[in-house]
Amino acid sequence: MNGLAMNVLAMNAGWLLILAPLTPLLLAGLWCIQGYRNSYRNSTATHGESAQRKPDGTPSAVLIWLTALAPLPALLIAFFAHSEPHLVVEPVLLGNLWVLDDLSRGLLGMTALLWLISGLYASRYSATRAAPAQPNTGFWLCWLLALTGNLGLILCRDIAGFYSFFALMTFAGYGLVVHSGSDRARRAGRLYLIMAVPGEMLILSGLVLAASAATSPALQALPPAIADHAWGDGIAALLWAGFGIKAGLALLHMWLPLAHPVAPTPASAVLSGAMIKAGLLGWVLVLPLGITALPWAELAMTGALVAAIGGALIGITQREPKAVLAYSSISQMGIITSMLAAGLMQPALWPALAPVVLLYTLHHGLAKGALFLGVSGLQGRARLWLWLPALSLAGLPLTTGAAAKVAMKGALYDASYPGLILLLGVAAIGTTLLMVRFMYCLRQTAQQTDSPPPAVSLTVLTMLAILASLIGLPWLTADVAGQRWPGAANAVQLLWPVAAGLVLGGVALGLAARGRLSSPAIPAGDLIVPAERAAAWLMRRWQRRPAWRWEDVVQWEGRWLARIGAWVARLDQRIVGQTGALFVVLAVGIALLAGLT
Amino acid sequence: MSWTSWMPVLVLLSSLVTALVIFCLPENRHITRGLLNLVGAVIKILLVGVMVIGVEEGMTFEARYTLLPGVDFVLRADGMAMFFAGLSSVLWLFTTLYAIGYLENSPNRSRFFGFFSLCVTSTMGIALAGNLFTFLLFYELLTLSTWPLVVHRGTEKALAAGRTYLMYTLTGGAVLLGGVLWLHGLVGDVDFREGGVLRDMPLALHGQFSLIFAVLIVGLAVKAAMVPLHGWLPLAMVAPAPVSALLHAVAVVKAGAFGIIRVVYDLYGIEFAASLNLLWPLGMMAAITILYASMRALAQSELKKRLAYSTISQVSYIVLGISLFGPIGTIGALVHLLHQGFMKITLFFCAGNYAETLGIHDIKDLDGAGKRMPLTSAAFTLGAFGMIGAPPLAGFISKWFLGVGAVNAGMTWALWVLVASSLLNAAYFLPIVHRLWFRPRRAEGWPKEQQLSQRFETSGWLLWPTVATALTIIGAGVLAGMPFSPLSWAQLVAAREYLL
Repeated sequence: MNGLAMNVLAMNAGWLLILAPLTPLLLAGLWCIQGYRNSYRNSTATHGESAQRKPDGTPSAVLIWLTALAPLPALLIAFFAHSEPHLVVEPVLLGNLWVLDDLSRGLLGMTALLWLISGLYASRYSATRAAPAQPNTGFWLCWLLALTGNLGLILCRDIAGFYSFFALMTFAGYGLVVHSGSDRARRAGRLYLIMAVPGEMLILSGLVLAASAATSPALQALPPAIADHAWGDGIAALLWAGFGIKAGLALLHMWLPLAHPVAPTPASAVLSGAMIKAGLLGWVLVLPLGITALPWAELAMTGALVAAIGGALIGITQREPKAVLAYSSISQMGIITSMLAAGLMQPALWPALAPVVLLYTLHHGLAKGALFLGVSGLQGRARLWLWLPALSLAGLPLTTGAAAKVAMKGALYDASYPGLILLLGVAAIGTTLLMVRFMYCLRQTAQQTDSPPPAVSLTVLTMLAILASLIGLPWLTADVAGQRWPGAANAVQLLWPVAAGLVLGGVALGLAARGRLSSPAIPAGDLIVPAERAAAWLMRRWQRRPAWRWEDVVQWEGRWLARIGAWVARLDQRIVGQTGALFVVLAVGIALLAGLT
Repeated sequence: MSWTSWMPVLVLLSSLVTALVIFCLPENRHITRGLLNLVGAVIKILLVGVMVIGVEEGMTFEARYTLLPGVDFVLRADGMAMFFAGLSSVLWLFTTLYAIGYLENSPNRSRFFGFFSLCVTSTMGIALAGNLFTFLLFYELLTLSTWPLVVHRGTEKALAAGRTYLMYTLTGGAVLLGGVLWLHGLVGDVDFREGGVLRDMPLALHGQFSLIFAVLIVGLAVKAAMVPLHGWLPLAMVAPAPVSALLHAVAVVKAGAFGIIRVVYDLYGIEFAASLNLLWPLGMMAAITILYASMRALAQSELKKRLAYSTISQVSYIVLGISLFGPIGTIGALVHLLHQGFMKITLFFCAGNYAETLGIHDIKDLDGAGKRMPLTSAAFTLGAFGMIGAPPLAGFISKWFLGVGAVNAGMTWALWVLVASSLLNAAYFLPIVHRLWFRPRRAEGWPKEQQLSQRFETSGWLLWPTVATALTIIGAGVLAGMPFSPLSWAQLVAAREYLL
């Protein structure tokens, strides 16, 4: 009896998992219906007959509220679902599998919380913004679809399902990036797609190659299949690069500092806090972590450290607060990536690293979300509160960041990469400097632009996000990582990068105030700028050389067809009535058939 | 004759009788004609449905009639036949509805719908043909019944396209006839059979079999629009939109692809074809077609032309799948036969909607059309993403099985062809989707706008078939694991091809 009740409960909880992505999806459907009525009403209004109807198709307030609350079921599932519910839906795709384990529970909680706060923020956002940046039907639709993808990919554990939600999030994310419609946004959107679509293809080819050796359609079957595969290293490299585009891997990161800042603030928060983690989750789920060592893992580690330190270095040259934060995301993701790389170098390290990766991910997601929301959610002295998540990122003792950093260093202590701990310390200095730079830029922009004060609700929501980033740790990781708060022994180890960063930052600010220091301006997107120039140059060369002109290639077949056309026309004159001719052919054919038999 | 042998005949008659009656109807009996069309289409779907269930349970439906000594006219419903027949009957219904709306107030509708029904009769005949001779008969009948549809508008351009179409397809037919005769001379009349029949023939003939294979494939490749025999297809898009939809999704190109399936699986047998080393040249031909046509699609500025080149590329996915030895590749090929049909018919319906409602033919005029025609544009977006192979849509399921099939068959290069083609698909479809939703409407307005409906963006006849086929793109992908989904049916057929 008891067993039966447990079974029913487990089954119910399994079905509940689907609710998490289904809620935003259904709401997206409602937006479509409303959008259809409004947009078609508008276009018919030009014909005069329905001119007296509501002109702008303002979406209903109830729908906006519901949309903002769409992550609520996911949040409730993350906190209240007991045990490890799972669900198999055989008729969907190639066999659909839903799992809530420790990994997905933590990520789901962080993701849903951040989307919830950002969603409420976005719903209150419109009052103080200029018209093009206001959320409209298209924005909310993309918002909900990206949310569906983000929640779904956390819970879905079969290959096709995970990849479906991943792709949905990627393509819907485009709508968030280009929402403002400015030239900057369009350029960022273009780059986003130019990098994301090949990224999807890298992932697809990696998944196909791995899946053709795997024993089941579950993601779980992939790591052992890759480990045993003759081309396992190559397959893992495809997946590393494919997911790495989303995670802002060094050299594949260029879209990120352009796309994240240009979106409306709440969208920036979820892009940089939650959606960026999808690539990371992809890695954790499919790479043979803890099973086998990969020969290119050291290269990956170097790449991760380049991102961790280089991201910080380029970030401090940025002038726009959101661009500074985007580079900080690259840097932080680099630090997390270094843990995965260590796991790929030494499989024995992975069991200890896995919970720390999760811990660090949750910490970064909430802190980065709060910082982004603070860009337009706080004003005047209230902005000083942002120092809390900022220094938490840098690892100030008694913050979640400190807990994550201590746990990381403990787990990485045995990694055989020269100077790893020191380099991570340097990255932490970089983070502190970035945060100083961020706060400085934030003040500068606020002084330069006369933006109206943010609505009270925005301030409250930002404070809520800051609060979540500070106390998120005990909630989210209580039964995940079993990490304890760092003791006094770790304080020095944690303090020196923060102190060094603050001193350096203070000196730099002092020098800058006296006009002795001018930061070199590296444009956002760094390497993309020369790459774009090279592409433009190549295109010009391509157009100039007559032998290579694209139009010629296009016209070649045209000429060929024309020649055939002329030939056909000549033939046509000789044959009177093609139909008759065919019947002759057929009749002869049948006669021949008869004759042969 | 028992009822099981009447079934395939009745399926053919359901549209043949419709065609003949429509030819006799006076031009102005629009409602009677529409009703006749719909009744015929529904009856056909019901008949095919009964046969699908029957075949699933292992029944055979066969009608045999000896025309000449040694030459049988055979109609038989096996798994493969039902695959194509199911596709044709379902899409015929949608296309009929669409065509009724599309041709409202245009002349010569009796002629159009008569040949339209005749065309479907031929397609069903091709699906149910039980041997090469019957196949050839309907294959040629298809050519003749589609020509009046291609030239329907009667313009100089249409007539020229029709001439080219006939030249290509008649020559292809003649080559095919040559192959059939050659084979007939060697082995007599052979029925299609799951697992193939030629393997059991004397070893001395195997050399000739290889040559005959080449001849048959070249004959069929004309209709399947494989490079370099594809020239007729982009020209034929001057036809009215429902004809293009039918040509590209169901009838002509599919007849070619289905013919190749029949030859490889049920005449030669996939294992025998592989042992004769016939599969990899076929695969190379398909790969070249896929990439070449995708590149050409990229360069088109006219919407229907871009879709036409996309068809050339996508139909060769099927051929590529055929050339992958192994059940997974087979599933990929078969399932794409259906999925490509759903996706391409949606895209052509959308192109027709834009042309009829807003007068848009060029891609550059589509800016902001998403606001004016949201449902059509949503359907187009689904079709485009499906073609790219984005999950969880139908195109993804095809691509997944083709990819895994390629790796399993030891032809990993085919996976890279698929990936490159997906990128090219993205490169020529995503800009259109971007124009629809993210660009502002052009200041000078639509080229030629018509108010076709008070309540919806365009006439319901045009809109609802489009929406319905768009929903099948989601359904076939998301519910791929359901019984009787295209994927399940393909798995059933593939199992029979490899186990027998």
